[in-house]
Amino acid sequence: MMKMKYVFAASLVALMTAQASMAGSIKGKVSPGKSVVYLEAATTIPSTSDKPATMDQKGLRFEPHVLVVQVGTTVDFLNSDKVQHNVFWPSISGDKKKTHNMGTWPQGQRKAFKFADPGVVTLLCNVHPEMSGFIVVSPTPYFAETDVDGAYTIANVPDGQYTVNAWHEGKKLQSKKITVSGVTSADFTLQ
Amino acid sequence: MRTHSIRNQPGLWCICLLLFLSLPTVSHAIPAFARQYQTSCATCHSDFPKLNDFGKAFKDAGFKFPVDDETFLKIPPVLLGAPAQKEQFPRAIWPGVIPGMPPIGLRMNTFFQKTAGNRGNFGSLVPAGTVPPFIPKTDFSTGLFSIFTAGNFGSDIAFWVDSDFNVGGDNAAGGLGDGYLKFVNIGRLLKMKKDALSLRIGRFELDLPFSQARNINISGYDIFDQANIGAQNPAFNQKNVNNQFTMADAMNGIEFSGGHSYGGYHYSIAFADQNTSGISQSSNSSDFVPSPAGFASDSNFKDIYARFSYRFNLERDRASRNAVQAAGASGPRDHTFVNLGTYYFYGRSVQRFSGENLIGEPVVLTAREPFYRVGGDFSVNYRALNIYGLFMYGHDNDQVPVDVTGTVVPLPLDPAEPTATGFIHGAPATFTGGFVQADYLVHPWLMAILRWDAVNSGEDRINGLAGAAPVPFRSTRNRVTPGVQFLIHANIKASFEYQFRPQQTVTVVTNPITGLPTAIQPFRTNTAVAALEWVF
Repeated sequence: MMKMKYVFAASLVALMTAQASMAGSIKGKVSPGKSVVYLEAATTIPSTSDKPATMDQKGLRFEPHVLVVQVGTTVDFLNSDKVQHNVFWPSISGDKKKTHNMGTWPQGQRKAFKFADPGVVTLLCNVHPEMSGFIVVSPTPYFAETDVDGAYTIANVPDGQYTVNAWHEGKKLQSKKITVSGVTSADFTLQ
Repeated sequence: MRTHSIRNQPGLWCICLLLFLSLPTVSHAIPAFARQYQTSCATCHSDFPKLNDFGKAFKDAGFKFPVDDETFLKIPPVLLGAPAQKEQFPRAIWPGVIPGMPPIGLRMNTFFQKTAGNRGNFGSLVPAGTVPPFIPKTDFSTGLFSIFTAGNFGSDIAFWVDSDFNVGGDNAAGGLGDGYLKFVNIGRLLKMKKDALSLRIGRFELDLPFSQARNINISGYDIFDQANIGAQNPAFNQKNVNNQFTMADAMNGIEFSGGHSYGGYHYSIAFADQNTSGISQSSNSSDFVPSPAGFASDSNFKDIYARFSYRFNLERDRASRNAVQAAGASGPRDHTFVNLGTYYFYGRSVQRFSGENLIGEPVVLTAREPFYRVGGDFSVNYRALNIYGLFMYGHDNDQVPVDVTGTVVPLPLDPAEPTATGFIHGAPATFTGGFVQADYLVHPWLMAILRWDAVNSGEDRINGLAGAAPVPFRSTRNRVTPGVQFLIHANIKASFEYQFRPQQTVTVVTNPITGLPTAIQPFRTNTAVAALEWVF
């Protein structure tokens, strides 16, 4: 019996090592900086985490201005202002059938929404037209926000074929098909 | 409903043009606030300058966010003293603030007007040999270029100043609108309930149920422009009433107020000077007390204005009902409400005569003629539809000059007639009128408006029969004005309104008494007006 345990452990280590050797990463640069990069795979990979993300409204602003989550993630919408707010989105990546209005709720309370569809969600407040925020719902767990210079790294990406998307507020979404094998690079200049 | 277009009515433009150019409509939104808070005009306005419920609360609070104002200011104010200086008082000046940037807003508007085809019919009313005014069919017109500034100095002291640089392209025609300080919630010093008492000092539009200076229409409400000039036609009993006062006038004085305009009670009581002579302060001086600034008023009596209203917010949920804005299914919105109010203005207009006393010595006789305006108003709001209206009754006592025997001296005074020595009560000069308006916010950027104005003045009718440039006999004011307004951006508005006055055939006869041509079936002019307005 002890012998079997050692065999199993050794097999597990070998498997993990093999897995690691099959996982690559994507590096690159996006212009302008502070953009979002995420991968699309052949199939969507929903989040299995119960931990919600938070999008706040504070000082007449959405905070954070851009939030990136994996599809299937629940986002808690919070109002930290002592004025009333609203959250709605007219579409998800232009699909107006996916419009949704969160309504009204008192200060300090939360209202949750589970994002089951990937895409870019433009958050608006129908009381304060100048307010906007964005939730980028990635179809896979492989996403990153670039730094101010535009550099990014997405690690632990299993080798394979993907579509890599780069998004920045006000710019047109760009997509590239890539094959990940080891360290792969993808640069973007968004227009 | 209407089967003839203004294109087919070649006649009514001049009077309308003159009316239009004299309209004092001044609408203000405050871009300075948008800058300071980095928020849209739409935060406070549904169709600028019309305030939504949040805008009303912002104004009530002294141009501040009702709660936690400092957390919303994106441009911090400049301290005029550290807050800790309060501990040093009275050995230090009480600390205040000024806005972190000059809170200045600018406004410009321009108009295009088309007058109905029978605009020239008035030309037939002038006496023979007189050249009638030319009334253009269409006309571009420059509007106002104005500056306005407002904000809060800390300690709940709010300020407002607005002034027109240019009016109609003429920089001499502008003038100060409002300019006041408002001490908000001074009732706290007397341990009164919050916002139960505020004090406003300076020059301001009275707390009218619906602002004339800041309404959304291109043309102002007729009733607020209504002066009361008694009968001047010698064919009738002339009245010694020449009251130029209108409710739209900016007043100089103080005002106590309390309550909120977004729910519950609201009151105001103002005491103000009145310039009953209708001339400007600089022109109103005295040989005996020379003053380059002149006198703001020729009435020692302070006119009194009082208003009380109560707004019933009708949401079922109590918390929502008492909030600044109601909680709707798709976000905060204006309340569904019924607002009922009443107002009363009491003043004395002044008439002066050269007369004599009872022993025959020449004196200046002064008649201080009491007058009042009283009325009620309502406003009903359901989601995007707001219907509101106002009724007013105007009443001026007539102090008729009499001679030493008590006999009425005919007006105008004539050296051949006995000299006046005093006054007795005559028949009052009165008028009634008001308006009803419906605003429907079709989209946040599109407002549809329908409005009815009416003023009924027997004095105006009588006066229409006299004068070198007679006006139609039934020249009381009556119009229906549909309109539509588009917000191109939150600070740029395109407005259209059609002032529809029921048309009548013009028949001119010679007045057997005055010998002047008189319209006995006068027309009324229809006018289409377009306006572009932008604030920044």
